[in-house]
Amino acid sequence: MVSKTEDEQLIRLENQVENGGGGTWEYLSLVRKLKLRRSDKVFKYGSAILADPKKRSALGPEEWTLYEQVAIAAMDCQHLDLAKGYIKVLQGKFRESKRVGRLEAMLLEAKGLWSEAEKAYSSLLEDNQFDQVIHKRRVAMAKAQGNLAGAIEWLNKYLETFMADHDAWRELAEIYVSLQMYKQAAFCYEELLLTQPTIPLYHLAYADVLYTLGGLENLHAAKKYYAATIDLTGGKNTRALFGCGSAIAQLTRGRNRDDKDNSELQSLSAAALEKAYKQQSPTKVSALSSALRSLKVSS
Amino acid sequence: MGLGYAVGVVGVLFLAHAAYSTIQYRSLLKITEEEFSGPPITVVMELVGGMLFCLWASLTVPGKFLSILPQSDENRVVALPANLDFMMFNHRGKAFPLGVDMKLK
Repeated sequence: MVSKTEDEQLIRLENQVENGGGGTWEYLSLVRKLKLRRSDKVFKYGSAILADPKKRSALGPEEWTLYEQVAIAAMDCQHLDLAKGYIKVLQGKFRESKRVGRLEAMLLEAKGLWSEAEKAYSSLLEDNQFDQVIHKRRVAMAKAQGNLAGAIEWLNKYLETFMADHDAWRELAEIYVSLQMYKQAAFCYEELLLTQPTIPLYHLAYADVLYTLGGLENLHAAKKYYAATIDLTGGKNTRALFGCGSAIAQLTRGRNRDDKDNSELQSLSAAALEKAYKQQSPTKVSALSSALRSLKVSS
Repeated sequence: MGLGYAVGVVGVLFLAHAAYSTIQYRSLLKITEEEFSGPPITVVMELVGGMLFCLWASLTVPGKFLSILPQSDENRVVALPANLDFMMFNHRGKAFPLGVDMKLK
C-alpha cells in the first residue's frame, strides 16, 4: 500500500533521479518496496547501475535483487535481448533456482511463445504445486492472450485454494469490471472489504460498482460506501466526494420528498470539493461549480 | 536519546533513594516508638520528582509516536500497488519502444 508520505517521497526521489541528483539506488529500492510498475525508469537507471562494475559490486548481495528487478523491467519494455543477458547472469550465480526458472518462463511469455511458457510453468509446478506466483502467472498468460474467460476460470480455481490472497481477489474484480460483470465484481470487492476494511480505495471501488449497478438499494449502499471512504480519508479523496454528491442526486431525482440528511451531505461534499479545488487548481473552480449546479438541477 | 536515557536513570535512582529513606524513617520510628502515619514530606516530593523523570524518559527514549488516525498522511492509502504478480508483457508498450539506450553490453 502506498501511503501519502511514501507517495511524496517517491515523487521527490523521482525528480531528483531524473535531474541527475543521485539517489538512484534508493529510488529503485522504494519502487520495489511499494511494488510499483515503473518499468521504463527502472530499466533506464537500473541498467546504468548494472553496466558499471564498480557501482554494481558496491551493492553487495543486493546486486542480484537488482538484476531480477531490471530483468523484469526490461521484459516489460520489450528489450528482450538485454533481459536474456540479465537472466543468464542470474542463472550462472543461482543454478537450479526456481526463481530464475520463473524468470526464464516469463521471458518465453514476453516473446509470445505461449505453449513453451506454459510447458515451463507446468514443469515448475510439478516440483512445487503450491507456488502461488506460478499459478498467478498462468492467469496473467491467459489474460495476455485475450482469453479473459480462461483467466477467470484459472483465478477461480486458484482462489479456491488460496482464499486469503487479496491481490488475486482484486485482479478478479478488475477483470469482472472490464467485462461489465458488476454483480460478480461486487462480490470480489466484498471479499476485499472483509479482509482489509481499513483501505479506503476498496470502499471506493465497491461504491463505484454499486453505483454502476444502479437501483434504489444499490445507490443507498453506494452512498454509504462513498461516505465511508470520505471518513477514512478525512475528505481528501476527490472521487469519493464527487461520488457521494452524484449518488445522492440520483437518489433524489424525480422525487420531491426532501430528505434532510441527504441534502445536507450533498452540500457538505460540494463545499469540501470547492475548498479543495480553490486550493489546488483555482482555474477549474468555474467548471466545478457548473458541474455541481447540474447535479443539483437534476434533483 | 542520550539525555532522555540519563534522566530515566536519575529518576530510578530517585525512586530507590526514596524507598531507602522510607525504610530508614520507619526504623527511626520504631526506636522512638511512634505510629507510622506516612512518609515525611521530603520523601513524598522525591517520589513525585522521580516519577515525573521516569515518565518523561519512558515517553521520549523509545522514539517518536506514530499516528493511528486513518486519515493522517502516514496512514492514508493513496494508491494500491500495481498487481505485479499478474503483470503481462503483451501490451501497447510494444508499439512504443523505449528509444533511450541501446548501448549496454
